[in-house]
Amino acid sequence: MEYVFHIIIMLNIYIMLVLSANLTIGMANLLTMCQAAFYGIGAYIGTYFLMQFSLPFLVIAGLVMLFTGLFSCLVSFASVRLKGDYFVIATMGFQLIVYTVLYNWTDVTRGPYGIPGIPGIKLGGMYELSGVYEYLFMSLALVGVVVFLFHHLVVSPFGRTLNAIRADELTVKAMGRNTVLFKSIAFFLSAAVAGLAGVIYASYVSYIDPTSFTLDESIFIISALFIGGIGNTKGPILGALFVVLLPELLRFVGLPDSIAANLRQIIYGLALILVMYYRPQGIWGKAILK
Amino acid sequence: MSFTNAQKETFDLLRGVNLDVEKGKITALVGGNGTGKTTLFNIISGFEKDYTGDVVFEGNNFNHIPAHRISLMGIGRLFQDGQLLSGLTLMENMKLASDDKTGEMPFSSLLWRKRSKAAEAVKEQQAKDILVRIFGEGNKYLNMLNQDASAFSYGEQRILSLARLLMGGDRLLLLDEPTSGVNPVYIDTIEQIIREMVVEGLTVLLIEHNMHFVRRVADICAYLDDGIIAKLGPTAEVLDDKNVRNSYLGL
Repeated sequence: MEYVFHIIIMLNIYIMLVLSANLTIGMANLLTMCQAAFYGIGAYIGTYFLMQFSLPFLVIAGLVMLFTGLFSCLVSFASVRLKGDYFVIATMGFQLIVYTVLYNWTDVTRGPYGIPGIPGIKLGGMYELSGVYEYLFMSLALVGVVVFLFHHLVVSPFGRTLNAIRADELTVKAMGRNTVLFKSIAFFLSAAVAGLAGVIYASYVSYIDPTSFTLDESIFIISALFIGGIGNTKGPILGALFVVLLPELLRFVGLPDSIAANLRQIIYGLALILVMYYRPQGIWGKAILK
Repeated sequence: MSFTNAQKETFDLLRGVNLDVEKGKITALVGGNGTGKTTLFNIISGFEKDYTGDVVFEGNNFNHIPAHRISLMGIGRLFQDGQLLSGLTLMENMKLASDDKTGEMPFSSLLWRKRSKAAEAVKEQQAKDILVRIFGEGNKYLNMLNQDASAFSYGEQRILSLARLLMGGDRLLLLDEPTSGVNPVYIDTIEQIIREMVVEGLTVLLIEHNMHFVRRVADICAYLDDGIIAKLGPTAEVLDDKNVRNSYLGL
């Protein structure tokens, strides 16, 4: 049973990550390739706070979201000056810089050796979570809150404005909306939630190293988003379900691990091609990336 | 104003444009392709910043103010290819054009639910009132408020985009070729909407190539040629001017 619960916890983390990517990519039409960078920044900042201070989870979560959100300003600044493919490349550059810093700044991050022994989250500053059951309930509660808030964002006037920016930014500007501000807020919230997923991951597995936060991971998150669908809440959840559950289902086919890993990549690639060709808004999505 | 192309050649586009737009009137800006009409609109509405000179609106200098702030100061714009925003319903399009931004910051509509709901309800009623005023009681658009923009034809999107401008509380509207690509059936409706705008106290400056339409609608006409306003006056006088007919209409 612990195995199933572990899968559900990882699924919850990925739901948060894919939902966070949906805010910038699916709603503001900004194809960012650095979601894993924010995930990693959140994980490392969270680890620092977890190891150095005995703070309640809500305080740590708030600090991690704030600092990770501030890092997003670097990317949103680029979005003002760069459009289309150039912006995508800039976000890729940000992702590579973050990975390189995490890998090489060994005094702080321990580089490739990673950071072991990360303590669990403390509820109310007292009770330290440990074990798969406690993390299961905590992650379920957290993902419930995140899904509720993201759904609210999608259907709220804020979401309406982001959707409008995706359709035609100039017209939205001419309607008196500061589109740069809206996109920056979307980036901030997106990065903050990715950072939150990072601190949950770090405390749950109690070990992090830079290889969990690579460009591949960013592509993985975006693939989940495109497969599930963009522009609403259901699509990203479905996408996260697909990418997290697929490798687990392949285990039951009885293939050797080496083949299953490659097969998984092939299936992801194939699914992406089929979805892009036949249903560009994703399986359960609302909008098409422009 | 000038621009430099990829070959580093510099061209003067607008050189000494001086145009007064009379309050409460419809002024048409006509001229050949590439004479800078849309560029002039871009300057007025804040989308073009690289120019010298002054843009003055109601006594306030609008130089180099960002586009979104210019809109809030009372200048609305219909783009040349302006249609409804795709992926949004007709009602969402109308609401977004409102100058009331209540609830648009993240989670504000959750924290101040009542206030946000009330503001949305006001916008909904305003949108319905506009559609009734333009298309009459019981018109089909009232039953299509929750339809996606893509459900409407190009011509319908054009007239609804014009109607949307009435949501904004603007005082000057810049309309870039409102009849462009529109079926003749809708041209009368566009004329009706523009007249409705003036009745509501708005001032209209429009770019148009359809000279029959300009003659019918515009009180004043400005002919832009070679980077300057070459002729300005009552519409019939400008369009019947020998030089304008020669150089622009080719008659």
